[in-house]
Amino acid sequence: MQWCFSQVKGAIDDDVAEADIISTVEFNHTGELLATGDKGGRVVIFQQETENKNPPQFRSEYNVYSTFQSHEPEFDYLKSLEIEEKINKIRWLPQKNAAQFLLSTNDKTIKLWKISERDRRPEGYNLKEEDGRYKDPNSLTSLRVPVLIPMDLMVEASPRRVFANAHTYHINSISVNSDNETYLSADDLRVNLWHLEITDRSFKFHPHQCNTFVYSSSKGTIRLCDMRASALCDKHSKLFEEPEDPSNRSFFSEIISSISDVKFSHNGRYMMTRDYLSVKIWDLNMENRPVETYQVHEYLRSKLCSLYENDCIFDKFECCWNGDDSVVMTGSYNNFFRMFERGHRRDVTLEASRENSKPLQVLKPRKVCAGGKRKKDEISVDSLDFNKKILHTAWHPQDNIIAVATTNNLYIFQDKVI
Amino acid sequence: MECAFDAQNLISISLRKIQSSRTQRGGIKLHKNLLVTYVLRNARQFYMNKNLSHIQRTQQYEDVAAVRERQEYLEITGSFKELTDDFYCNFTGVESDSWHCGAHQPNDQPAEVAHQDASACAMVSPVSDSDLMVPEACWSCVEKSAWELPVPNTTNQKTVLDLDTHVVTTVTNGYFHSDCCAQPKQPQGAHYYTKKRKMDTNYYIIDPEFYLPDFGPVPFKRMRADEDSNGDSDQLDSSNISNLISVLGSGGLSEFMSWQHTDLEQIFATQTICLKQTLLTGSGWTRAIEAF
Repeated sequence: MQWCFSQVKGAIDDDVAEADIISTVEFNHTGELLATGDKGGRVVIFQQETENKNPPQFRSEYNVYSTFQSHEPEFDYLKSLEIEEKINKIRWLPQKNAAQFLLSTNDKTIKLWKISERDRRPEGYNLKEEDGRYKDPNSLTSLRVPVLIPMDLMVEASPRRVFANAHTYHINSISVNSDNETYLSADDLRVNLWHLEITDRSFKFHPHQCNTFVYSSSKGTIRLCDMRASALCDKHSKLFEEPEDPSNRSFFSEIISSISDVKFSHNGRYMMTRDYLSVKIWDLNMENRPVETYQVHEYLRSKLCSLYENDCIFDKFECCWNGDDSVVMTGSYNNFFRMFERGHRRDVTLEASRENSKPLQVLKPRKVCAGGKRKKDEISVDSLDFNKKILHTAWHPQDNIIAVATTNNLYIFQDKVI
Repeated sequence: MECAFDAQNLISISLRKIQSSRTQRGGIKLHKNLLVTYVLRNARQFYMNKNLSHIQRTQQYEDVAAVRERQEYLEITGSFKELTDDFYCNFTGVESDSWHCGAHQPNDQPAEVAHQDASACAMVSPVSDSDLMVPEACWSCVEKSAWELPVPNTTNQKTVLDLDTHVVTTVTNGYFHSDCCAQPKQPQGAHYYTKKRKMDTNYYIIDPEFYLPDFGPVPFKRMRADEDSNGDSDQLDSSNISNLISVLGSGGLSEFMSWQHTDLEQIFATQTICLKQTLLTGSGWTRAIEAF
């Protein structure tokens, strides 16, 4: 599979404004919409063009559909703490009507947003002038029915629910249930179950519909909980843990085994976990070891101390599946991202950079030289830029279109259509 | 990338991270601090074992039982693998082969290999460019006697941060052994650990960065040499020191104490982080923080 550049969104400046740092990327269920959240608390939604006016080798482009301020900075007076407005996660709800709904969360508060289109407006009010001033009712001599006339498309985002005050610690993830009525939110120590209609309570102990959810611990274990089994969910129904390789033990063993992301496969049979150096695929029926392990950047194992000093070792990389679960993708440093083709046991390293951003330019595979003589076109480990990291990636649910977020730019790549 | 990775530096770096997390926007990040405490614990274990092996070599602090123990162990001939296993111990201080110096060991090497020069040590480690877990002793076969000692139970040892002189010290059996800490990596390697200093004299001051007030800028300060230590220590503001106490005591880390989460209970059952002020009798110190 070859990948081509499609689009890049965001400022070109090398000077990155902190508020522009992208903190989450998520396609909706059809892939038509792509949402990003940033450190400034804003959500930007891109929409794929419905009509493909371009030649066949171009896929439809994504253009800005809606932008809104989701969260503002707040101050917790009781704890003397500022609450960051950074959007930690966005999750789309499956579409039920013409409007779209998404959940966005910062460290403390989850909000349900309704995104709706308005392309008509009413005209011919009886009591209002065209400019909005109210008429004197006594001046009316006749009544008419207002009519809807077309207008330029306007996309409105309105907060419909605010779920607050349920998390003592920082919310790190949310997940929508397949029943479309409930969702989970998790902070460092607690998982809350919410009903979308009820904002003043979350049901930590309430047994709900058949549902399993998974959470990972900082020790590198993953627990699958079935809410059918127990109301409390303190006991896990499955515990996924791979015994540690003693030859790899180090000061930093716990940090690098800490799981930064978990994703179920689309078919529900597997789950993928990302720790600092690797991606592991687990069969949900086998708990004692993963079925596949892919090394993302093993050359960093000898650099863990430096990465600890500069805090890079705490970076939380995400991972994602493609539509048919045959390929997984995750990010790395130097604006590299990696794809692993499961069946063919192939992997590739690609780079998101402005230099490779000509339309439909095919991305050249990159290689990092871990030691020894560096070949031409290889990059040595010491030349990697650890400030350029790809933490957030997303794969279109059906097509081979991927969204890859560098610090403040969103790159969209597509596979090469022959 | 350069980094000084000996255990003392890791302890210093970790403490600094914990302190700076207090002033980060958005509040203390629990998960990150938990991971930092793992590193602190691991570094401390390693540091304690190295110190204890050094202490047991010195006549002044040995008791008869320790001498006997050491003699018995010296008579044991072991493989190189067993020797490298002495670098680390597990969380309870019991000797374990679950730690390594980061290198995948081939078949058991004869013990003689460890007694050759440092380049031979490098050769048995296939990951030759790994600067991860090769402590100074690995490269200095002069220190091989440190390897030969069993990894002891360290429950009679404590790591103490003296608030007045700002020295991180190991307390063993009631005796103090002040150590340098937060020093840049010494080129002389393991010999660095063989220095012995008495109490009350020639203290190195650790980086006082984390004594600065919460919300002020944190300027970098150089390490100061022993000669400057006594004079400069007076200049440190007591309010800054109590600030540190609150960080390590009732401040951010006190949250760790009240966690109910199963994982964390297991962590604390095996390795409790205990931060409290300790009045140390028989010393010139009036205040100290006992870590771990």
